Amino acid sequence: MAVQTLKRIDEFRIEVPDTYVQGMKVPGVIYLDAALGEGLEERAIRQVANVATLPGIIKASLAMPDIHMGYGFAIGGVAAFGQEDGIISPGGVGYDINCGVRLLRSNLRADEVAPRLRELLGVLYEDIPSGVGSKGKLRLEPGELEKVMSLGARWAVSKGMGSAADLERTESGGSMEGADPSQVSVRARERGHSQIGSLGSGNHFLEVQKVDEIYDEQAAGKLGLFRGQVTVMIHTGSRGFGHQVCTDFLEVMERAVRKYGIALPDRELACAPVNSKEARDYLGAMRAAANYAWANRHVIMHWTRDAFMSVMGMGPKDLGMMMVYDVAHNMAKMEEHMVDGKKMMLAVHRKGATRAFPPGHPELPALYRETGQPVLVPGDMGRASFVLLGSQRAMEETWGSTCHGAGRVLSRHEALRRAKGRSIYRELEDRGIIVMSAGKQTLAEEMSEAYKDISSVVEVVHGAGLSAKVARLLPIGVVKG
Amino acid sequence: MSYETLDISGDAGIRAMGGSIREAFEAAATGMYSLITDLGCVREDRTIEVSAAGESPEGLLVRFLNELVFHFDAYGFVGKRVDIKQLEMENTGRGRLKADVHGEQFDPARHSRGLLIKAATYHGLLVEKKDGLWSLDVIFDI
Repeated sequence: MAVQTLKRIDEFRIEVPDTYVQGMKVPGVIYLDAALGEGLEERAIRQVANVATLPGIIKASLAMPDIHMGYGFAIGGVAAFGQEDGIISPGGVGYDINCGVRLLRSNLRADEVAPRLRELLGVLYEDIPSGVGSKGKLRLEPGELEKVMSLGARWAVSKGMGSAADLERTESGGSMEGADPSQVSVRARERGHSQIGSLGSGNHFLEVQKVDEIYDEQAAGKLGLFRGQVTVMIHTGSRGFGHQVCTDFLEVMERAVRKYGIALPDRELACAPVNSKEARDYLGAMRAAANYAWANRHVIMHWTRDAFMSVMGMGPKDLGMMMVYDVAHNMAKMEEHMVDGKKMMLAVHRKGATRAFPPGHPELPALYRETGQPVLVPGDMGRASFVLLGSQRAMEETWGSTCHGAGRVLSRHEALRRAKGRSIYRELEDRGIIVMSAGKQTLAEEMSEAYKDISSVVEVVHGAGLSAKVARLLPIGVVKG
Repeated sequence: MSYETLDISGDAGIRAMGGSIREAFEAAATGMYSLITDLGCVREDRTIEVSAAGESPEGLLVRFLNELVFHFDAYGFVGKRVDIKQLEMENTGRGRLKADVHGEQFDPARHSRGLLIKAATYHGLLVEKKDGLWSLDVIFDI
């Protein structure tokens, strides 16, 4: 059925009518142009529609152009729920709580780094554990994990890694208030104990990049970016710690669904009323996992700076490796938004979607008050990544949200099939991209063809006015799990 | 008993079959380990005991597999052979099990790196008996 029953609103927006599945309280809106619309999966549309049946959903069930099928909520999904009659759902956040992206600028030009790039990647690969079965190099002392959960990146700064200037450039200051370690299970702690400072696997990466295109010179200047410059992007999350928090609370929410008599079209949408104990407990544990993720990205950044200093033989001042920003793209947050001209506190779920707050928003640091929030959108390892800025339009239409990445088009199996007999490593090298990967299989599964073209995804959010392009970054060196 | 991988966009799944629900569960667990690494290289050096309980056969399967995910992710234990010693299913659907898992410590020098499994999910989860054969579908978040 399906795709025919959708209504195109304009060049960049499709409406999923509120009759698409029974019980929809609001319509769905998917941000797609005609070309991306052709690849839209029926099951992903159904997931957007299913979310629209949840109690207290406001305005619309939204999805970004990198939409693909997830568990319960589609990846790329955004939904806000009222504080009085709405719900909180772990499925609207995902297993990798506060998976996100951090971008570092530098004073270096790509041609300065090129002669030492292979050596640099070797050091990064050695110092930052990645891949299946890898452990972080950091052993947390007893009691330390409690501080990670409560303080996030602030814990790392207190250990002498990075500085307060980094925290200012991190969403939520790298430390979410309201984390409740007492809601985190022993199992989650056991998984998290040895994984701080590790990348993980799958689509997570550390990339050395080159700024190859600037779309807005003035904004790029304010973000410290220039053409030909070397940047570093870190894409990872809360590792096994967050996965276990999600696993634990899906069970709690299953019971809550029965307790509160919530009718669900899909078990993975399990949820509880915003004001219930179950939702409060989940948010407390989720925030602890979010803080774990910020600490994780912060530690990895610190080791990255060390690697650059030792390989380039330069001090921190000359390197100028300041953070541009750090964004979360799997998170639920209580945020104030305007609904029909009135200020309301909402539970905003972003699952594979990035916050994109506009200029002047009180949550932004003074540094970005005028420009709006930097948005970091990673692509696949062979194409590009983008820096954008948040907008007022996003605030009005998508609860201040935009896309988070490319989105897969090929299954892992299909990617492996197509990679057979080819050397993905060699193909990338021929295009000037050096890759260090813990697993050959990961490399094939994560090849460019397995993903939508990031540029077409970014064109949609730019065209729809959800965020504005500032710069394009090309990978020159990749560390993969 | 046997298993095969399911091709899912973005993630990976296992279809496991067995003459009894116990056999099918064992096949699902072994199948999951086969996504993590090549089982041909895994030795049976150590045995861990795990237990799980669930409100339904589906819930029991997800919880059982998530126990194994936990032991791999937190302590690096990778299984090769799974032996369910006890499996009780009530009429209400509620069930519990105890299993011995034989395997060893994951060592990237000897073991290939396959998929990093975050969790077994309820998505597309299927436990059914057809013509005397139990068939299970389970999808993992990767």
